Amino acid sequence: MMTTLSSQQLSELTAAQIVETARAAGEPTWMVERREAAWQAYRASEAPFWRRTDLTKLQTDTLTAPDVAQSTNLVWDASLAAKGVIFTTLSQALREHPELVQNYFGKAISDEHRYRMLHSALWQDGAFLYVPKNVMVETPLRAVYSLAEGSRATFPHTIVVLERGASVSFIEEYSSANQQSQALCAPASEIFIGDGASLRYVALQAWGDSVYHIGAQRVMFGRDASCEWVSLNLGAALQHVETEANLSGDGSKVNWVAAILANGNQVLLNAPWLRHGGTNTEGHMDFKTVVKDTGYTVFDGMIKIDHDSRGTITRLEEHALHLSPKARSDSIPGLKIDTNDVAQAGHASTSGEVDDEQLFYMLSRGIPRAEAVHMIVTGFFEPVIDHIPDQALRERVADMIEAKL
Amino acid sequence: MSNELVIKDLHANIGDKQILKGVNLTVTPGSIHAIMGPNGSGKSTLSYALMGHPNYTITAGEVWYKGQNILELEANERSKLGLFLAFQYPVSIPGVTVANFLRSAMNAHRSVEGQDPKQTAIPMAQFRKVIREQMAALGIDEVFARRYLNDGFSGGEKKRIEILQMAMLKPSMAIMDETDSGLDIDALRVVSEGVNTLASQNSDMGVMVITHYQRLLNYIKPHFVSVMMDGRIVRSGGPELALELEEKGYDWIREAVLSASEE
Repeated sequence: MMTTLSSQQLSELTAAQIVETARAAGEPTWMVERREAAWQAYRASEAPFWRRTDLTKLQTDTLTAPDVAQSTNLVWDASLAAKGVIFTTLSQALREHPELVQNYFGKAISDEHRYRMLHSALWQDGAFLYVPKNVMVETPLRAVYSLAEGSRATFPHTIVVLERGASVSFIEEYSSANQQSQALCAPASEIFIGDGASLRYVALQAWGDSVYHIGAQRVMFGRDASCEWVSLNLGAALQHVETEANLSGDGSKVNWVAAILANGNQVLLNAPWLRHGGTNTEGHMDFKTVVKDTGYTVFDGMIKIDHDSRGTITRLEEHALHLSPKARSDSIPGLKIDTNDVAQAGHASTSGEVDDEQLFYMLSRGIPRAEAVHMIVTGFFEPVIDHIPDQALRERVADMIEAKL
Repeated sequence: MSNELVIKDLHANIGDKQILKGVNLTVTPGSIHAIMGPNGSGKSTLSYALMGHPNYTITAGEVWYKGQNILELEANERSKLGLFLAFQYPVSIPGVTVANFLRSAMNAHRSVEGQDPKQTAIPMAQFRKVIREQMAALGIDEVFARRYLNDGFSGGEKKRIEILQMAMLKPSMAIMDETDSGLDIDALRVVSEGVNTLASQNSDMGVMVITHYQRLLNYIKPHFVSVMMDGRIVRSGGPELALELEEKGYDWIREAVLSASEE
């Protein structure tokens, strides 16, 4: 009897194998059924039509299913368990806290397109973080997802739950060395911030250069919930990430910053939504992009203010710096306001080359041109990096940026 | 090698527009030379052209300093040679702290071709000591070291930071471009004292003070005064020329120049 899908080509995989594997792992019936339904939906699905994401080079059928969860690494202070904090792989959480997982799995992110269906059918890696009511955690907890050598696909699923008044920093990391063969990562992160709770959330995408990263992240806000969200997009051959800060709780607040750096032939797309649903919600987005060589980035963002959302404060800033003439960045910001009662709404957008006046000023102090450009770029990202709540990670990200430049 | 700054028949354009129409001027080591003139006379263009701003095209002329025609050098090489421009409008560089900027600039000055920059870099402890001392001398709060360069600074703060950079880099030829603009009297005094202190510490330092008003020259006392008009030096003299300008304005010189050219 086979209990692993490992090394099975996706084109040869059957629903029966998926069901059998999930049962053998002792997964609850609802999850087994969910996987089966998702797989069938996947088989029946068409490739999504995304204008700016070209997946023609991604050979989905020749990819192989991931091994049983083996590339999730959780880093934390285990003594936090005494306070009731749960931080385990998602599979373990499914065994030990099945009801809790069932309350949240698939509640923020639905199987909207075929890569999400594939994710729901095949997820193996994943993390489950639960912080009980009023528990404050100082040191960040980290979930690191990687690709095992030769691995062709991974579908990490992250669930973070903060109960009322809780506070925590969580770092979600995707990283691998460069490898020859193409690989797909289709992750999903579902984050629930309870009333009055606050989260610092860092998502670092630093895959090797043959990975296609097609993912989703959604943060759900309770009343007066708040989040400092840092998105860092540095790796992968191609990224297509749909993200949303769902400010449905009254008085909820997000400060969302991002650093995106595409060099070589990288294509990095972000589709962030800032959705104001509750009253008196506040959202700030500041996305910083640098493109180099023939790198290409897309910012396909949207601010949506619902009809019943009164007193909204919202601001979107996106700035792009072009370091070479063939590099490209597209920006398609949208604003949908369905209410007459907006407190403040602002948008600022720039894109261009390194500022001549800044460059001349630095040169005039003796700093050579290449170093001056490097300092300007690093400085451009600095306000984003500064938001990372972990010194070691700040330095590592600075090094990654340096290496890419 | 001569430490004189010798400007010969300098012509410069912005785009197609000719701004400098043949500037001749020599600044000798240890001297303070004021360049005065009305707005639009080309004073700031002269300072930018000397430092190598890419928007100014040199169409004719030479500028010699320490044995080189510096017009052939990149701005950073001119800086390493000892030239320093205190900007009228210092540029802000978000994300780069004052301390990091200064350290990079100092290390660039200390670097030697063919040597590992780590070998020539200023040791961190020494850098901290120097910057602390210089900031104290200029009355700049230490928190500024960690702030982003000129980002959100007031006009006076920016000018003090210019002088701080000058004090750290110790140029042999300083060009002060409208350093007095936007300064109140207190800030003007501090900034001027900074320049005077540097000049007294380095008796070979040449200083070119570019200003519209005589006010600054009460604080930084020039040995020579030249008047610029329509892209040329039209009058030169001693400190008394500045006082005369203060009293009579620029019109009398303009008239004198015009009548001279008609003769």
